[in-house]
Amino acid sequence: MSYQLTIEPLGQTVEVEEGQTILDAALRAGIYLPHACCHGLCATCKVQVLEGEVDHGVASTFALMDFERDENKCLACCAIPQSDVVIEAEIDEDVDAQNLPVRDYTGKVIRLENLTPTVKGLWIELEQDIEFQAGQYVDLHLPEGIGGRAFSLANPPSTGKVVELNIRIVPGGKATTYVHESMQVGEEVRISGPYGRFFVRKSAEVPLIFMAGGSGLSSPRSMILDLLAEGFSLPITLLYGQRSMAELYYHQEFLALAASHPNFTYVPALSAEPEGSSWQGFRGFVHDAAIAHFNNDFRGNKAYLCGPPLMVEACIGSLMKGRLFERDIYTEKFISAADAQQVRSPLFRAL
Amino acid sequence: MDTQVTKKKLGLKERYKLLTRDLGWETTFHSREEVFPYVHYEGIKIHDWDKWEDPFRLTMDAYWKYQAEKERKFYAIIDAHAQNNGHLNLTDAHYLTAIKIFLQAITPGEYCAHKGFARVGREFGGVGTQVACQMQSLDEVRHAQTQIHAMSNYNKFYQGFHAFSDQRDRIWYTSVARSFFDDALSSGPFEFMIAIGFSFEYVLTNLLFVPFMSGAAYNGDMATVTFGFSAQSDEARHMTLGLECIKFMLEQDPANLPIVQKWIDKWFWRGLRILALVGTMMDYMLPKRVMSWKEAFDIYGIENGGALFNDLARYGVRAPKGWGDAAAAIDHMSHQLMLGLYQWSFGTAFHGWIPSDDEMEWLSAKYPDSFDKYYRPRWEHIKKLAAAGTPFKNYGLAKLCQTCQLPCVFTEPGDPTLICHREIDYKGEKYHFCSDGCKEIFENEPEKYIQAWLPMPQLFQEPLKGDLGAWMNYVSLVDGQDNGDFDGSQDQINFDKWRGMATSNK
Repeated sequence: MSYQLTIEPLGQTVEVEEGQTILDAALRAGIYLPHACCHGLCATCKVQVLEGEVDHGVASTFALMDFERDENKCLACCAIPQSDVVIEAEIDEDVDAQNLPVRDYTGKVIRLENLTPTVKGLWIELEQDIEFQAGQYVDLHLPEGIGGRAFSLANPPSTGKVVELNIRIVPGGKATTYVHESMQVGEEVRISGPYGRFFVRKSAEVPLIFMAGGSGLSSPRSMILDLLAEGFSLPITLLYGQRSMAELYYHQEFLALAASHPNFTYVPALSAEPEGSSWQGFRGFVHDAAIAHFNNDFRGNKAYLCGPPLMVEACIGSLMKGRLFERDIYTEKFISAADAQQVRSPLFRAL
Repeated sequence: MDTQVTKKKLGLKERYKLLTRDLGWETTFHSREEVFPYVHYEGIKIHDWDKWEDPFRLTMDAYWKYQAEKERKFYAIIDAHAQNNGHLNLTDAHYLTAIKIFLQAITPGEYCAHKGFARVGREFGGVGTQVACQMQSLDEVRHAQTQIHAMSNYNKFYQGFHAFSDQRDRIWYTSVARSFFDDALSSGPFEFMIAIGFSFEYVLTNLLFVPFMSGAAYNGDMATVTFGFSAQSDEARHMTLGLECIKFMLEQDPANLPIVQKWIDKWFWRGLRILALVGTMMDYMLPKRVMSWKEAFDIYGIENGGALFNDLARYGVRAPKGWGDAAAAIDHMSHQLMLGLYQWSFGTAFHGWIPSDDEMEWLSAKYPDSFDKYYRPRWEHIKKLAAAGTPFKNYGLAKLCQTCQLPCVFTEPGDPTLICHREIDYKGEKYHFCSDGCKEIFENEPEKYIQAWLPMPQLFQEPLKGDLGAWMNYVSLVDGQDNGDFDGSQDQINFDKWRGMATSNK
């Protein structure tokens, strides 16, 4: 039996299937609710239930306190309606959000390529076009009981049926090991998406800084390809860090883009390139490259950060000391259960 | 029948914009500087007031409805508590010592906060800020009132509750809290926000309220627990106002950072000194303990405070200067202050007592590195003196710290056997301090602190001229009734008698 879920302040009503969470139902209907960990730990998706009953599911007692349950708060990512439900979410209208509906897609692996010794490029041709905003991610469903894993789309939205994922092998990680060692061209795969709020706020019309590290290049690459293709004319700077030249995938592509687009500046940085190698570029971390390149003054830009947590944290600190603050910094965070255990203060909402 | 079309509700942001749209008019009769004269002299540079966000965006309309509902629930429970002799459900009457200190020292602080937020709500330039400060001002006066009402029931049956406002102004240990709030109230608007909105409401509030309210719950004090629940629901808003203020200052201009850092250093240390009273309450005064002061500090101070200062580090803010000294003092401060309160118990509007053997076992388990080595021997000695009929009383007066106004009973960082004492000469007068932290605060603003009203010098001035009996009248303290040993006090005798009547046929 299904129920009606009404989401205030939008006033939109959507269907919820039995056992489906509020968050899943909303996202699939194209309504974005703030969320992060998706399993009841981080409390990003806390909403007010105005009418109706919900089952709190696995919501952690740390993320949803007893007194908040008494006040009819719930965590949308694990709250399952037990009747018709009306919720009120703190939704600020974001003119750049397209609120695209999440769908399930089936496709075939058409190409597999080692981009670096640790990063595998994976191209999937879907049975239908997928609509997404550059920077968003999808869930890739893997067989052998592995389940779904989130990966950012590395291609721009213009490629239609074909999507590209760049997947770094995580030692001991079941999913990435499967992709690197067992996945075959021709194999059928399923993805669902698009998810996430990591997209360019084009309406702000300010210069853009992208800071990418490790396998966090996917979203910035998709965003930059999209921007340049549509003729975005304000300055775009990509600060891109890897350990060594061998890991610096898509280096030639960005050099070529910088040569052909005067508003695009490419600043690669290597943190562990052997002394005396042929590398002529910046040696050090991405945030240090950024401080040097911008002379420690980031005012008037918007910055998009994607990479390992330590890199993102160092970049946030550098940007803030260079006078760029929370309202102009965007990150894509993949929260694991271990991250959610960290004690954070409520000083920042999105960072 | 036509299908009903539900009107699209306004978002919180839009609703709030409509609520406040006409409050931020451009002044024409007077310049902005004349209308908001106090926002510049502290040196804080602001370029755009609209960047101060009030994420709660609570409308006055919603605020009244919410608070009214809370009041109804609160007073229903307070009535039930009074009518059912709720005071006889306490674990023991000496629990009330904690509540007396709270009423004499902390509740008047809520009232001060009310006055302060009303003032800064007028002095700040931004509309969101003005509304948020006004609401907090109303919250604070409600907190003061509900606390007084919650505890007034005990005043019918027990000593020491009858003159809390006199005691707040005049007695020595409450002047610690009084001077904290007087200091904040006589600061500029931005420093007030760091003192109360940030330091008190965010960094210290968990250390203050969680122990008191859990202490109340553990010891059968339904009235105080109810107050706690009612106030707790405002705290998220208060913490947010403080956090938004500090972000706003740090983001508006790089020149604000050193000013803000100095205030953080100052108000952390001042707050820690107030918490000495709370720590003593937790470790010594609750018949049924919740957790030790040290455990509370580990969770709410080290862990949560540490997380906050990690986040603030992104702005270039470092942890408060006294952080290390504070952590080192945690093993000692409650014991040192309790020994002080015991030896001067003739001058407190609550009772003192020697910890029982059970209590000393608990203290030794909670403070394995300090209690048995430094403090148990002193209590054993005090116990021996009491048994011999010569209880240890110190009829001398404590030397008070010019800044925090606590008696100089704390020890050197790193040596718990040596009293920490600092003094400086300023314009021909000698001033005393309990710590480096308090001395530095004085040195930064000597002209402010030489005006401090100190209870001990007051005793020697007109009209008291050192007359202890006259002093007791002056502070509304009834000798032999409100003060002295708990054993044999009217509170103890009456509680045991009434509880006996309530629970047996005698």
